[in-house]
Amino acid sequence: MRDTPLSNCERDFILKAIEEKRRLDGRQTYDYRNIKISFGTDYGCCFVDLGKTRVMAQVSCELITPKENRPNDGIMFFNIELSPMASPAFETGRQSELMVKLNRQLERCLRNSKCIDTESLCVVSGEKVWQIRVDVHLLNHDGNLMDATSIAAITALCHFRRPDVGIQGEDVTVYSTEERDPIPLSIYHMPISVSFSFFQQGTYLLVDPCDREERVMDGLLMIAMNKHREICSIQSSGGIMLLKDQVLRCSKIASVKVSEITELINRALENDKKVRKAGGRCGFAESMPQERITALKTHVSPLEMTDVEEKANEIVLRAEAPPQTVPSPVLPGPGTGQVGEGLQSSWGLEEEEEEEEEEEEEEEEQQHKAEEEVTCVAEEKRGVDVVLISDSDSEEEEVVILNQKALTKNATSSNQQMAVDSKLKRQRERQ
Amino acid sequence: MAAGFKTAEPLEYHRSFLKENCRPDGRELGEFRTTTLNIGSISTADGSALVKIGNTTVMCGIKAELANPAVEVPSRGYIVPNVDLPPLCSSRFRPGPPGEQAQAASQFIADVIESSEVIQTEDLCIVKGKLCWVLYCDIMCLDYDGNVLDACLIALLAALKNVRLPEVTFSEDSEVPKVSLENRRGLTIHKHPVGASFAVFDDSIMIVDPTAEEETLSTAIITVVMDEEKHLCALHKPGGTSLSGEKLQDCINRTTIRHKEVHKLINKVIQSVKTPE
Amino acid sequence: MEVCGSSNPTLREFGSEQNLLSRPDGSSSFVQGDTSVLAGVYGPAEVKVSKEIYDRATLEVVIQTKVGLPSVKERAREQCVRETCEAALLSTLNPRSSLTLILQVVHDDGSLLACFLNAACMALMDAGLPMSCLFAGVTCAIDGDGRIIIDPSAVQEKESRALMTFAIDSKERRVMMSSTKGSFTVHELHQCVAISQKASDNIFEFYRESVRRRYSKSV
Repeated sequence: MRDTPLSNCERDFILKAIEEKRRLDGRQTYDYRNIKISFGTDYGCCFVDLGKTRVMAQVSCELITPKENRPNDGIMFFNIELSPMASPAFETGRQSELMVKLNRQLERCLRNSKCIDTESLCVVSGEKVWQIRVDVHLLNHDGNLMDATSIAAITALCHFRRPDVGIQGEDVTVYSTEERDPIPLSIYHMPISVSFSFFQQGTYLLVDPCDREERVMDGLLMIAMNKHREICSIQSSGGIMLLKDQVLRCSKIASVKVSEITELINRALENDKKVRKAGGRCGFAESMPQERITALKTHVSPLEMTDVEEKANEIVLRAEAPPQTVPSPVLPGPGTGQVGEGLQSSWGLEEEEEEEEEEEEEEEEQQHKAEEEVTCVAEEKRGVDVVLISDSDSEEEEVVILNQKALTKNATSSNQQMAVDSKLKRQRERQ
Repeated sequence: MAAGFKTAEPLEYHRSFLKENCRPDGRELGEFRTTTLNIGSISTADGSALVKIGNTTVMCGIKAELANPAVEVPSRGYIVPNVDLPPLCSSRFRPGPPGEQAQAASQFIADVIESSEVIQTEDLCIVKGKLCWVLYCDIMCLDYDGNVLDACLIALLAALKNVRLPEVTFSEDSEVPKVSLENRRGLTIHKHPVGASFAVFDDSIMIVDPTAEEETLSTAIITVVMDEEKHLCALHKPGGTSLSGEKLQDCINRTTIRHKEVHKLINKVIQSVKTPE
Repeated sequence: MEVCGSSNPTLREFGSEQNLLSRPDGSSSFVQGDTSVLAGVYGPAEVKVSKEIYDRATLEVVIQTKVGLPSVKERAREQCVRETCEAALLSTLNPRSSLTLILQVVHDDGSLLACFLNAACMALMDAGLPMSCLFAGVTCAIDGDGRIIIDPSAVQEKESRALMTFAIDSKERRVMMSSTKGSFTVHELHQCVAISQKASDNIFEFYRESVRRRYSKSV
């Protein structure tokens, strides 16, 4: 499905508004939309709402053999899923340009910045290491997917706990969460991406563009930074030329935003930890707003079971009991068998076989048929030309040609005839 | 005239037959097409069977291979079924990766194998944690004329009964399995699941063993699979119009008869091959 | 025949939120205990020529797993959900158009297929698509002692001997979809159908209540 295109009117309106330092949703130039972070029931599952943009990240782990050139390092794997839920323009199973771009940027932001201690993921050097897999699902696309993705991914990584392992000789045992407390990953720092969009060849700048702003922008600058003001990656796209000062100004803004967001993530993580420790309910179900008219929740509801059994009995009893006898299969040769009557297969071979089996059982009927044929022929002999018959090879055909009545009857009722034949056969078998 | 009617208004054409309690091919509503079974059709496979239900033709070949059992379940082998609906069997299938119907059919067959426990995967284990059999059951449709699931199940069951596995000895010292091709034995078949498919026309009329045309015109398709103890192994109805419990019971009763019929057929055919030996 | 112990089977607490995503034409989340699914619907919209059907809308169902790519199992489930929705939707009212339903697994704690169906129905309602009836998904499990458990959790599913998921329609409470695992007797089947029909009453009441709440002036 194609995305709805942006009309020229809308485009002009948005650009005009930006020139007047106004944004569609009433934000100031450097404002982020509201960020909401919530966690799923299991470890390593995180939802991030950035305004209306919504993403979900899930971290999972698996024991694998390491790469040969790095036998002591665990492996980080990132996968961004452009679910068609986020936007009708996204298609499943297709590597789109956007997906590659986002994936690459996330890898640069989280893997190349060495924010996770991969050596701590080693179990047996050169044989078994943990592979940490981060799946990010985009659920709703309203611009600035990269920032939402990076927040979700790093928060999910911080939230994740991997199972503990024990090594005895050569055997590696993975303990379930009940046996031993799972272990968090060791994370050195938290890089967060901040996006800036540029309009009118870089004259105007906006932080955290929404979908419509993204559609009219000329260029995009993504800066990934941690709270120690260390830049992890800078990426400029869209083909605009930026001045040194512009980049410096952006990095200054980014540092402010990053410290704010880091603070928020830490608060959310702490809050979740507290709830889990207290044994309270957590997860998606709890994050559902109760005060909205679009949301509703019920309590555990018991079901009345009194008449269920009677009802089941009644249905079984009321139905007609199946007959006890079934037709026996016919074996035309070793390794082959047939069952059922009625329609015959249109395969020539099959028909022959069918005839063979019928021959044995329906001698009586064939005799009857033969008699019929004889009488027919006799009639024709009496009626029209006699010479014709001797000329032709097949008697059948002749009957058909000369006896118009028999022809039509034969053709229309051939199927029914077959059914009748088979029914007769069945009856006889039962007797 | 009739041909034109059939092309222009296929649904009306079928309805006019169903009103008279019969079907365009001369069958009654509850009547199966002729089912033909041939076993050992592929000599290179370890077990094989060819099944024809009317024009629908399905071939099943089983290939056994040696493998290492999974770490989680060291005393079990594997059965890997796969249903292929190639463009050869009908113009409705396109070349390329398997379509939804083929994938759904594969999953259905896998579910039935697991649910019915036709073969216990423990039986396929040779040495615990070291060596086991993998049975690759490739089911290929050669001609698609509806009711492919029933045909696949019969083909699979007959092929499994036809499998002769060579004897394998495993020496602990060298850890090399030795296969003796002369000594072969069959598999233990614990259950005999047989399926029956039904199509629902106009939300009420139920017909058995639908052809491809009937399948496309019907509003729902339901497949019931049953074993010889009258336990249901699957009641597969992927959507479509709704049915009451009574109608389901009718389907189940029809399946009981069909089970006896097919079970007898398979046994007789297997028997007929054994006798010459 | 021994079935159902002393305690009555219960549905876990369930809840739903509609219209929670801005991009799709209809969206919903459905939560049953800890199992949770997010659904989004797009359409009726322009359809690809290769998928066009001349007398009705083309419905596509996509199931997105949480980790990794969807497998054959998901394709089989997609087929079940799609054909159920097709039977409920009056798709002849929108010929030559496309409807897309995307289901995202948020958390799987048993009865996932039932949750897919419920989320799908809520999303279709939210999208305002014309339907001939509503449907509810219910999963029943039969444990080792022959007791019937309704709306089982993942642990209960694992321990069960048989597992059945039904879609029940709102008009006559009949079975629209059925998907089973494990072997069971005919009697057990009919009991599970009867219980599912009863459970569906609760779900339909919930649908009704949530629509009433949505169009009310106060919470």
